[in-house]
Amino acid sequence: MSAYWILLLLISYRDISATTFDATTPTMVSNITYTSAVMSVVLKGENQTENVQLLNRVRLELDCTWAANENKQPNITGYWTRDGDEIEDSRLTVPLQNEQYNLKRVFNIEHEEDLRKYSCVFGSQAQIQFILTVPGIDHVPDKPIVSYIGDYVALVCKIKDTAPKPDTWRWYKSNETDKVRTDVLAEPGRYEIKNEDLKTTLVVYNLTKEDSGVYHCGAVYPLKTSVGELTLNVLSFMEPLKILFAIVAEVIILVAAILLFEKWQSKKKPREENGMNPLPTDEMMQEESNSLGESSALRQRNV
Amino acid sequence: MPPAASNLDYTPPDGGWGWAVVLGAFISIGFSYAFPKSLTVFFKEIQAYFTVSYSEIAWLSSVMLASMYAAGPISSILVNRYGSRPVVMVGGLMVSSAMVLSAFGTTIMHLYLCVGVIGGFGLAFNLQPSLTIIGTYFQVKRPIANGLAMTGSPVVLFTLAPLNQFLFDTFGWRGSFLILGSIILNCCVAGSLMRPVNKKLKPRPETEPLECNGEASEKAEAQPANCSLPEEEPNESSCWSCAQKFIDLSLFKHRGFMIYLVGNVVMFFGFFAPIVFLAPYAKDKGIDEYSAAFLLSIFALVDMFVRPATGLLGNTKWVRPRIQYFFSFAVSFNGVCHLLCPLANSYAGLVVYAVFFGIAFGMVCALLFEVLMDLVGPQRFSSAVGLVTIIECAPVLLGPPIAGALVDRFGEYKYMYYASGVLMVVPGIFFFIMHYFNYKKLDEEERQRQADAMQMKTSAIESLNEP
Repeated sequence: MSAYWILLLLISYRDISATTFDATTPTMVSNITYTSAVMSVVLKGENQTENVQLLNRVRLELDCTWAANENKQPNITGYWTRDGDEIEDSRLTVPLQNEQYNLKRVFNIEHEEDLRKYSCVFGSQAQIQFILTVPGIDHVPDKPIVSYIGDYVALVCKIKDTAPKPDTWRWYKSNETDKVRTDVLAEPGRYEIKNEDLKTTLVVYNLTKEDSGVYHCGAVYPLKTSVGELTLNVLSFMEPLKILFAIVAEVIILVAAILLFEKWQSKKKPREENGMNPLPTDEMMQEESNSLGESSALRQRNV
Repeated sequence: MPPAASNLDYTPPDGGWGWAVVLGAFISIGFSYAFPKSLTVFFKEIQAYFTVSYSEIAWLSSVMLASMYAAGPISSILVNRYGSRPVVMVGGLMVSSAMVLSAFGTTIMHLYLCVGVIGGFGLAFNLQPSLTIIGTYFQVKRPIANGLAMTGSPVVLFTLAPLNQFLFDTFGWRGSFLILGSIILNCCVAGSLMRPVNKKLKPRPETEPLECNGEASEKAEAQPANCSLPEEEPNESSCWSCAQKFIDLSLFKHRGFMIYLVGNVVMFFGFFAPIVFLAPYAKDKGIDEYSAAFLLSIFALVDMFVRPATGLLGNTKWVRPRIQYFFSFAVSFNGVCHLLCPLANSYAGLVVYAVFFGIAFGMVCALLFEVLMDLVGPQRFSSAVGLVTIIECAPVLLGPPIAGALVDRFGEYKYMYYASGVLMVVPGIFFFIMHYFNYKKLDEEERQRQADAMQMKTSAIESLNEP
């Protein structure tokens, strides 16, 4: 199964409501000129998936070709599916031409709902699946971003380098219940949104505990808005401080223990050395008393 | 017996409390080398927080490493003056307070100053004294002690990398810096273990006149009494003799030291770049991110076990007398590994390369300071290592960026590996040749000294026998 990205560049179309376009409600616009695109794929093997990246409304023709296997039946039934369900009136009898079977169909991709997985199926054996999407948010961290009360935090969303830039960016914040998404708009001193072509940064100042939660960044494309989720966790400084104090206490205890042990060891050694000193003095005193005794004895004898 | 090591006037314990000192050195050296590398986990978020480019944030590690190397001579001077223990404890306090201060930083300059400069100085005050004190406690078992102490670096890195990731996930970068500040305070515990060695132990019996290496050494009290000094030049400038009191600049006239310095400066250009580019090279070959990171883990794991093994090997009676050749072999082996790396085309090939590179890197690191001690002796080691680190500062810092420039210029990694390989094989061969001559010279000098000693003894006996 091979998958590769294909970008269809939008050229020109008229869409009156481009700036106020809301991703969730489809606009009803008439007289638009569609861009057309053709995607031709030759099936190798029995199953293949192609990722198709779209930005704009397009008249997309999907063209599947399948080289016949050993059976080489003159006719085979082919049909199209959307998300696994067969599309009505799409079943055809496909003739064998130049050792190949070919299925073609045109899809009008106008709204977000049209971005689905479409497949062309040959008989019951071979199929090519086309996954239609808009460019997605790149590498959003799945772990919460941590910051502290009173501090600020920068939440970043990026589109892949190779993808075209979105029309605009949007930020939302979820409630605890996760049902209501409220827009996050720039507010001096509180929220700042820095938008670049492929990147958006939401800076939240003066954080409080309530700022914890899920933030959604949206890359707005005409067809659909790509959304990424970021979780923010706001902590109070006391939490790391507690650990800091605990480790500092451990260090002080260990250092004191090691130094005291050393003092105790060094006191033991001189005590052992001093223990030997009294003996010589005793002996000296004994010698002195002996000598005195002898001299007195001598004196006695002499006298 | 190692050639230049015999000018101690006491017998090093070679055990006992020495092993506790090795543990302290293990912790200190581990933090010194591993700490700057482990901070890379925080870079992405700090980069987003301060809105700076990746190269600006990568400078943080470089500034820390540069300060650590540049503060080498200052560290040496302090160790010469006060001994190892106070310097390590002050160093631990410095890094700790630097990290705590930086947790409250408001600009990237704060981080450069606190973590980079002050932190780097603090780490330097941990590194030099740890290496020096091993030389005072060990003589016979010194290669093992050095090998064990240097194992601190991969072990601490192995522990810090996932720990830092965990701290970052739980506390963000500010909280993590706070907690890391307290963890690194354990360097003070390591310092408290570094009891100054008891020099009142039984003195070695004087079998031969003690060797005097070069000119005056900086510690007057260690000057053996019966050493015949060459006359000091009376016309030395006061600047030189002033500096001489603090740090032994006469080392620049020491043959072994100069060989070591020249070889090392060239070697360090190609030493660290292959590690930095191992994961990107693997990804470039089409290997996924986790397997590429796993290569580094293999490398670190092999490194961890090779260092003490090298120490043990260096201590054997076959290797110890000619340990310089062992070091030369290790350096050349490193170079050969890098030269052969571009041949590895699959993941299995890269794994083999990572294993051999781990072995080579571990061998060089374990012996790096042991051979310096072997060349200049434990007394002058402190000054020697200070001078060496400040001079090595340039190649250590410039190596990876130059390698990166090579990669950008040619668009391929293999030329960088060839360059690194050459930059290591050439010093390796240089070491082999120069040390061959050095050993010959040292053996000659030894023979000469023994002949002089015999002459002195016979003349002394004759003078006694005369009525």
